[in-house]
Formats: sequence, structure tokens, C-alpha cells
Amino acid sequence: MKVSIQDKIAILAESAKYDVSCSSSGSEHNYKTGELGNTHKSGICHTFTSDGRCVSLLKVLLSNICIYDCAYCINRTSNDIVRTAFTPRELADLTINFYKRNYIEGLFLSSGIIKDEDHTMELLLQTLRILRHEYRFNGYIHVKLIPGSSKELIHEATLLANRVSSNIELPSSKSLALLAPQKSKESLLSPLKHARNITLERHQKPISMSTQMIIGATGESDFEILKLSSSLYQKALLKRVYYSAYIPVNSHKDLPSPLHVKPPLQREHRLYQADWLLRFYGFSYDEIVDENENLDIQFDPKTHWALRHLEHFPIDINTAPLYTLIRIPGIGVRGAQKILQARRFKSLSFEDLKQLKIPLKRARYFIVAGKNYQKEVPLYEEKLKIALIHHGHNIIQPTLFDTSVYTGEF
Amino acid sequence: MNVLYDGSFEGFLTLVYDVYYEALNPTSIMKNEPKELLFEPLHVVFTDETKAHKVLLALQKKFSKEHYQRIFHTFLCDSISFEMELLAFIVLGFKEQKTLENITIPAVFKLQSMENELLRLTHKMYGFTRFEELEDGMLYAKIETKFNVLPFLGEHFCKRLGNHAFIIHDVKRSLAFIKDETTKHIKEVASFETPLLSQNETHVRELWKTFFTHVAIENRRNEKLQKSLVPLLYRTYMSEFLA
Repeated sequence: MKVSIQDKIAILAESAKYDVSCSSSGSEHNYKTGELGNTHKSGICHTFTSDGRCVSLLKVLLSNICIYDCAYCINRTSNDIVRTAFTPRELADLTINFYKRNYIEGLFLSSGIIKDEDHTMELLLQTLRILRHEYRFNGYIHVKLIPGSSKELIHEATLLANRVSSNIELPSSKSLALLAPQKSKESLLSPLKHARNITLERHQKPISMSTQMIIGATGESDFEILKLSSSLYQKALLKRVYYSAYIPVNSHKDLPSPLHVKPPLQREHRLYQADWLLRFYGFSYDEIVDENENLDIQFDPKTHWALRHLEHFPIDINTAPLYTLIRIPGIGVRGAQKILQARRFKSLSFEDLKQLKIPLKRARYFIVAGKNYQKEVPLYEEKLKIALIHHGHNIIQPTLFDTSVYTGEF
Repeated sequence: MNVLYDGSFEGFLTLVYDVYYEALNPTSIMKNEPKELLFEPLHVVFTDETKAHKVLLALQKKFSKEHYQRIFHTFLCDSISFEMELLAFIVLGFKEQKTLENITIPAVFKLQSMENELLRLTHKMYGFTRFEELEDGMLYAKIETKFNVLPFLGEHFCKRLGNHAFIIHDVKRSLAFIKDETTKHIKEVASFETPLLSQNETHVRELWKTFFTHVAIENRRNEKLQKSLVPLLYRTYMSEFLA
């Protein structure tokens, strides 16, 4: 039976959608006159799907045929789903047609393992070669390196791609052994190490790399997860770690049941916030979360940290350096920069901060601005928590329909 | 004093000239003739190329590249009134360049914020602009935006579309950025006939829509979030949202 392109794109987008990575950032402009395609330093989102996720790249699998049997994966070999594959030419043409119309920023090139690792990597490479050499396409290409494929193939892919990645999948070796017995942490990370060495040898900037972990399929705590991310960032191996709330697609004795598990979206959200603190706010993982604990669900990680370190507060926004300003809950890098710019000219008050459109909803409890500081809520963890939850209002708010406690009347 | 100018960049520069050489002291600046009777006198600025050019040279000489650019960028924010603040900005700049960094002055802060908004909008449109392939292979996009981002989009797509000829049509402003084999320029368009699409166009659009629907995860459905990221306002010409 011949499957139409229309059906293929439906099936292979379904198969790829659980991979979260979609960013197109980190590559400098690289256009050449007369050729198609360019990249943008900060990446570009082209649309957002009904689940609120950004579409930047054409994210499909080359094929959803897979010899592996990973318990969490929709494409595992023992699943009874429709299998199909693009030819490298079909996928390359699709990319060009979408790119020309500005639907996408480029291609996310990945695949199930069709016959063996090298065969699959070779097919991915063919697609890459058509795009780069034949079509002279300079847009963004993210290539999933197939763990276990030969070094020469990884070498070539690394030189042609803007970003390469290999998913760690699960945050510990134990969980991997349980759910993806054909994979190991070493086999998953080795292509990345190899790719980095290749670019470093050529005296280039190391190629940007990312990975993904599934959250909530196994028992690891946020502490373990962030510790792992932080070590990957520190070794400068990775640019991004993605966290993917586990969505049950299979029934398996070692996995949460699909019937009564909701994807842990709030936890995923908190992990991204914490990840941000690691990468841009100078926090270390053990500041954000206690050993073997999870992140607080009620408060974002920065507020949570502040509440437990009130000895650093209140912070004087007229004297504090940048790295201290960005530790104030509710003040981000942009807000902090505005403060730095404005305070060269005058000592800032609460009113000035409002004029600068810096939100004080949370920050007000943690700062001193000249003579201004808030007096309503004392600097105690419990009091602050209540104030933060109720946005500073009195907790008992008499309403029109309150009955009098004394008479029972309105 | 109420001041009336013709809304053009040259007109505004002439106004600046008059402020200095005719001791004009505007309390409000208008682009259109007021409909009601005014209590205050109305001064009409007659756009004068020589005066405008003199002011432009002075700006170029006195202002840093960044601030000089901000003046142009302000003019692209054409759907809100900015004239009083822009005038204040220029007067401040001629007096003391350093004050143009002082965002505790409302006019300075407003211009800086407007520029940020313009650049954010530009960045959004880099992603949200959609081209259609016409019969002759040319790519054609329609846009409707709060501010005039056409110059930015033109430059952006020149770099990425290689040899392809393309048109970006700003429907509300009746402007178009046109790039063909020999030239690239922005042109006023009075009327534009709906062009014929290439044979392949509907097919590719259907493929895109199929991809768009199938890459979403049903268990994570969150249309509120989607709406905040692609507000309805932007969806008018985005193929994946069209029936």
C-alpha cells in the first residue's frame, strides 16, 4: 500500500511530538547571497500549537519504525501502530517548501532505529546532504545523533548541523536499565562527547547540544534531576536540558498507568524555572532544592529560595549589584538592567519603579527603595507567604454578602 | 500653542527647526486639522526640505548612533501619538546627550519602551509572516501590524529567501516591500488584485496544517496559553489558523 505524503506527515509528526526540543537559537547569521536560508541568534518561533508549545522546526521522524523496545516510547517495537517512513528526498523537499513560506525555521531531523544504528544515521545524513549540498540550504538543522552509530557518520552530521542532541531520556542509570534496557547513560552521552571533540579540533566554537529527560515516569527527585543538569552545564557539554512531563502512552508494569495519571505539568514548569536560575541567574542546584526533595509547587523556585533566606533581605535596590538584584523575587534580568540604568540619575523610590513598569507585586516585600519600604508585612516567612498568596490584601475580606457574626443578618 | 504638521518625517524635522528658529513652544502637536474650534492659537508647519535637511544633519552630528536610530524607530510606531515626547527627546539631546539615558524622565522612558515594543513586534513577525507561492513562483505575504515593521521584515527576508522574488504587503498602510531580481524597495500600493496561486500552493498548505494539528499533544491541551502566545490579532493571515 502506498502511503500519501499527507498521511506520512500526520503519522510521523505524531511520532515525534513527544520530543520537546524545538529551539532554533544559538547560531549566528550564516546567510550567503543567492542561497536559501539563514539562522537567527535568538531563534524564532513560527507558531504555537493548541498545547501552547512553540513550533520553530519541522519536527517529524524520518521513520517511526524502531527495533528498540523502550517502555515509555510510543514508537517501541512492540506497539501496534502504523509504521511509515519518508525518503530523504521527500523530507528535504518538504523542508524547503515549508521554509520558503516561512512556516518554519528549519528541520528537526530524527528517526526511529530502522534496521540498525548505522543504517539509520546514514539515512539522516542523506537528508542532510541533499539539504546542505544540493539545495544549498543554510537554515537551522537540528540532528538527533543515533547512539551507537559509527564515529565517521557522527562526524559528518556534526559538521553539517547547527545543533546535535542525544536524549538521556531518564535521569538515572537505574531507571534506564529498567525502562530502556537497550540503552545506557554512556551510550547516550558518548555521541555528544564525540561531537564536541570534533568541533573543538577544528578550532571552532563547540557545536551547541541539548538533551531531554522524561519527568515523572520514574522516581527520581528534582534534586537528582537538577544535579544532573547542572553537572552537564558545568562540563560545558550542553547548552540546554529539556524536561518532558511524562505522558503515558503505553501500559507497562514499571510505569505509571495511563488511566489515572495526569502529566506532571506544574512540576515540569518548576523545573524549567529552576533550570533558568541555573543558567542565567547564578544559582547553584543545591541552593534551589534540598537533597532528595522536589521543588516547591506553590512558590516559584526563586521566591521559595528568598523565603528561606530572609537574612539576605531586604535588598537596597539603589546599591545592590546586578547579581544581587536578580535574586529578588519578581525582578528579572530586564528589570534589573532598567534599575541599573535609572539609578545612575537619581535615587529610586517605589513610585519610580512603578514608572519604570517594574512589577512590585512580589518584589515589594523584599526591597528597600530609598526611604520606601513596605511596612504592612513583617519579614517573617509565614507572614510573607500569606501576603504573597493573597497579594497583600487582608485575608478576611468583608464582602457585600457577609452576614454579621453577631446578629446573623446581612 | 497648538502645532499642526503633515505627519511626515520631513514635516516633523521642519517643526523642530521652527521650535529653535521661531521660538515655537508647542503644547500639543497634531497631524490632522482639528475639527473643533481651539482656544489657543494654531501654528501650521509648512514642510520645508532645506530646513528638514539642516535638522537631520544636526541630529546626525550630535546624537549617538543608537539615539539617532531611536528617532527613526519612533516614527515607525505610527499608530500612537509620540510627537510631544519625540520633540522633548530631541531638545534634551541637543542640550545634553547624557540625559537621553535617563529613563526616569517620562519622555525618555516612553521612547525607549516604544522602541522595545517595536523590536518585539518585529521579532514576532519574523515568525508569524506567511508567504504564498504565486503562479510565477514569486512569494507573496500579507501583513497587518500595529506598527510599521515593513523595513525590518524586508531586510530580514532578503537575507533568507536567497534568489526568490517576494512581496510583503502591509494591507492597512497600503505599503509593499518588493524584492525582485534587480531591486528591493518599499512602494505605496493603491490597489492590489488578488494574485493567482501556484498549482502546488494548496497542497503544501494542507501539509502544513496537517503537521500543525498532529504535532500538538492532546493531554497538554492549553488554548489559553496558545492565545497568549499567538493572539488572535496576529492570526488573520497565518495559514494554519485559516479555514
